Amino acid sequence: MQMIKPRTVATGIALAWIALAAPPAIADPAKDVQVAARALGFLENAPHGAVVLGIVYDPGKPATVAERDALMAAIGSGLTAGDLTITGKPIEASAVGGASGMAALYVTTGSPYSDIGAAASGKKLLTISSDKACAQSGACVMSVVTTPAVEITVNHNAATAVGATFKAAFRMMIKEI
Amino acid sequence: MTNKIFRRTVVLCTPLAFAAIGIADAQTIDYGSLEQLFSEAVTTSATGSPQRATDAPVAMEIISAADIRRSGATDLPTILSRVAGVDVLTWGAGGAADVSIRGYDSPYSPRLLVLVNGRQVYLDHYGYTAWSTLPVALSEIRQIEVVKGPNSALFGFNAVGGVVNIITFNPKYDQDVSSATAVGGTQSYGEVNAVESFKLGSEVFGRISGGASQSNQWTNATTSGPIDPLFYVNPYRVATNLDTIAQLAPSTQLRVEASYSLVRQSDVEPLYTYTDVLYRTESIKATLTSETQFGLAELSAYTNQLNVDYLFGSGPTDWTNAIDVLHAQDLFKIGASNTLRIAVEYRHNELPDAPIGPGVIGYQVISPSSMWNWAATDKLSLTSAVRVDHLTATRTGGFPAATPFVPGLPSVAWPLQSNADFDRTMTPVSENFGLVYKATASDTLRVSYARGIQVPTLIELGGIQYLYATGSLPAALMGNPQIEPSIIKNYEIGYDHSIASIDGTAGVKLFSQSTDNMTGNPSGSNLIAQPNFTLIPGVGPFPTSLPGIGWANVGSSTLKGAEFEIRGKAADHWRWGLNYTYTKVEDEAFAGQNLLADGIAYDQTTPESRANFNLGWVEGPWTADAYLRYVSSFQMFSANTGNLTPIDAYCTLAGRVAYQFSKSLKIAFSGENLLKSQQNQTAGLLAQRRLLLSLEASW
Repeated sequence: MQMIKPRTVATGIALAWIALAAPPAIADPAKDVQVAARALGFLENAPHGAVVLGIVYDPGKPATVAERDALMAAIGSGLTAGDLTITGKPIEASAVGGASGMAALYVTTGSPYSDIGAAASGKKLLTISSDKACAQSGACVMSVVTTPAVEITVNHNAATAVGATFKAAFRMMIKEI
Repeated sequence: MTNKIFRRTVVLCTPLAFAAIGIADAQTIDYGSLEQLFSEAVTTSATGSPQRATDAPVAMEIISAADIRRSGATDLPTILSRVAGVDVLTWGAGGAADVSIRGYDSPYSPRLLVLVNGRQVYLDHYGYTAWSTLPVALSEIRQIEVVKGPNSALFGFNAVGGVVNIITFNPKYDQDVSSATAVGGTQSYGEVNAVESFKLGSEVFGRISGGASQSNQWTNATTSGPIDPLFYVNPYRVATNLDTIAQLAPSTQLRVEASYSLVRQSDVEPLYTYTDVLYRTESIKATLTSETQFGLAELSAYTNQLNVDYLFGSGPTDWTNAIDVLHAQDLFKIGASNTLRIAVEYRHNELPDAPIGPGVIGYQVISPSSMWNWAATDKLSLTSAVRVDHLTATRTGGFPAATPFVPGLPSVAWPLQSNADFDRTMTPVSENFGLVYKATASDTLRVSYARGIQVPTLIELGGIQYLYATGSLPAALMGNPQIEPSIIKNYEIGYDHSIASIDGTAGVKLFSQSTDNMTGNPSGSNLIAQPNFTLIPGVGPFPTSLPGIGWANVGSSTLKGAEFEIRGKAADHWRWGLNYTYTKVEDEAFAGQNLLADGIAYDQTTPESRANFNLGWVEGPWTADAYLRYVSSFQMFSANTGNLTPIDAYCTLAGRVAYQFSKSLKIAFSGENLLKSQQNQTAGLLAQRRLLLSLEASW
């Protein structure tokens, strides 16, 4: 019987590994907002029951409008996550300063982060985005990425500015900056 | 007795006292919510800090409640046998089995620390886990966390081969856990159990479970003939468990757990002979967890009481072992990147001598420990944990009376007639260091080093006193107060890769392990006390004290191994997994030691290969699962002859088919050892095919 050379086996394994390589990650707004809603449950004095999530977009940027639509479609007439039932309310970026009655704001990718962050901070409103850059810049309190794996980043200073404190167990499982 | 009551009162009341004064905001970890948030299992077993399983700096696997339900198994060792690298020796019906991780399995396997919600269920007196005595019902287990390799820097000594931490559902967060199950099958197997969640008012949440099972023993046959009928019993088990959480203030919780189990079964003891054993265990634990401005603080206390009656070949021996543990820890973050855990534990452990009293051997342990996790970058994290166990062993009480062996001649005294001979202090250090590098979202590299400690058991230190009166030279079987802890070092590198195309993962691990100061069983070469002689006119030299034999450090051992695992899902209906683990053990005796005589031959009793393949399918109300296991050939000391006996390589097949009639009613048909009606898997009783039918109602 002919022996199979170790190098052949190694090459085969390497080729199989490449063949099984992960395809590029594609954002999933429905999953993002679901995880964001669950993350709100780890706030001290977390909201309960029916709450409104503001979906912040820039009407001049089609990508943010598209994300708004996708998020609103994902939320539908009410999205349940843990003991929260979320309904969505679109808000133009320029109108954040006048927003009221919302548990948090979901900032679409590509919106004017710093303006939104400043306005939300003034209203003590927690901000969430699917774009890590928003939390990294300090404009958002939290970023949520769910594909290929869930990755939550919390900006400590931004959280402090809006008076948001997360539970210890949650803090130990996320990235804080 | 008064001291014991006082100590237990203090230990158990400490968390209650802090609760009464309302120490702070308290929260237990809500595994379910965190698991849903991160879409993966969450664990605290790797570092003491809550972590996603993929972030853990150690090799570990998590068996979920769904895995347990779909296993078709009625005992924990069967479930664990499907985990990569786990060895299981099943000695008979009723779940009498020994489990080890990555080799070194043996009767009364001492290297695996087993916990239920952090409470030790490993039996300290003899250093093993009697799996059937674990008081929890399988249906109330949220997950089983299996940590591979030493982890005694976190959990304390004896976590050297690995740790199995069984996490039950949280009475507050998992209120929907209520079910009743009836199981019947071949070998007259019968089991009933029920789990009921309840709520008292708006602030007290609880869950109570109870169950009983019995079956006929496997046919009395081994490859070397039947075992002595004296030790051949039909096993039974009765167990109950109560778990409650009280919401004392808006964010203050106190968890109280209590359990009882009664088990009778045929075990195999470390000298590879069968024994008829009756276990009774009781425990109570109180835990207060507080989220303070200084972090997540936890104060817990528990007491375990074991009453165990062995019928050895030498006769009956009954032990009672009492363990009291008080544990305090604080888990906190410094800045955004550093998580620290500091802890201190006090343990009191005592065991009256048996089968001959009087005397009580015991030890107290003070154990400070710390863990530091540093998220150095987005991709790289480092974890370091250190624990020091300062153990002080003492003996109290008298010694066996001098024994007259020859009429008309002086009696022969018991050796080591001073309690001071048993005074012992040891301060071993446990260490764990781990590096996790997440090269991409799909690729994780782990490198770790661990130094684990296996301390001598209470019996090894002096909890046994038995007179070998056979033959012309009597001897005392006794503890060895000078025995040293075994030190286990483990070096490991592992790589895991998520594969989206199969909705799964693949991983490979390489590990190298050494064990120093291995403990050998009592034998003629393990002489603890030399006999003294006097010259009697007309008789010659005559012993005035007995020779003492017992346990001793007999050698060292090394292990090298590799583990490969791949698992995935397909077409929304299928799931599959394949794992293979290779281990190569080499033992080396200390000078003057004969390992075979000491009952040690890990390099021959550890199989080199074990592999598992599982395939599962779900479609509407139907669920089907199959589990194929392969173990390569190895040798084992015969239960009848004591000689090493070859065990041929074998395959086993198990499976389960279930149909969900309605949301609340399910019927399942399952089987184990399906390939053969009986099969030689150890040198003990031949494993038998078993078929089961179960009916489960849930609400």
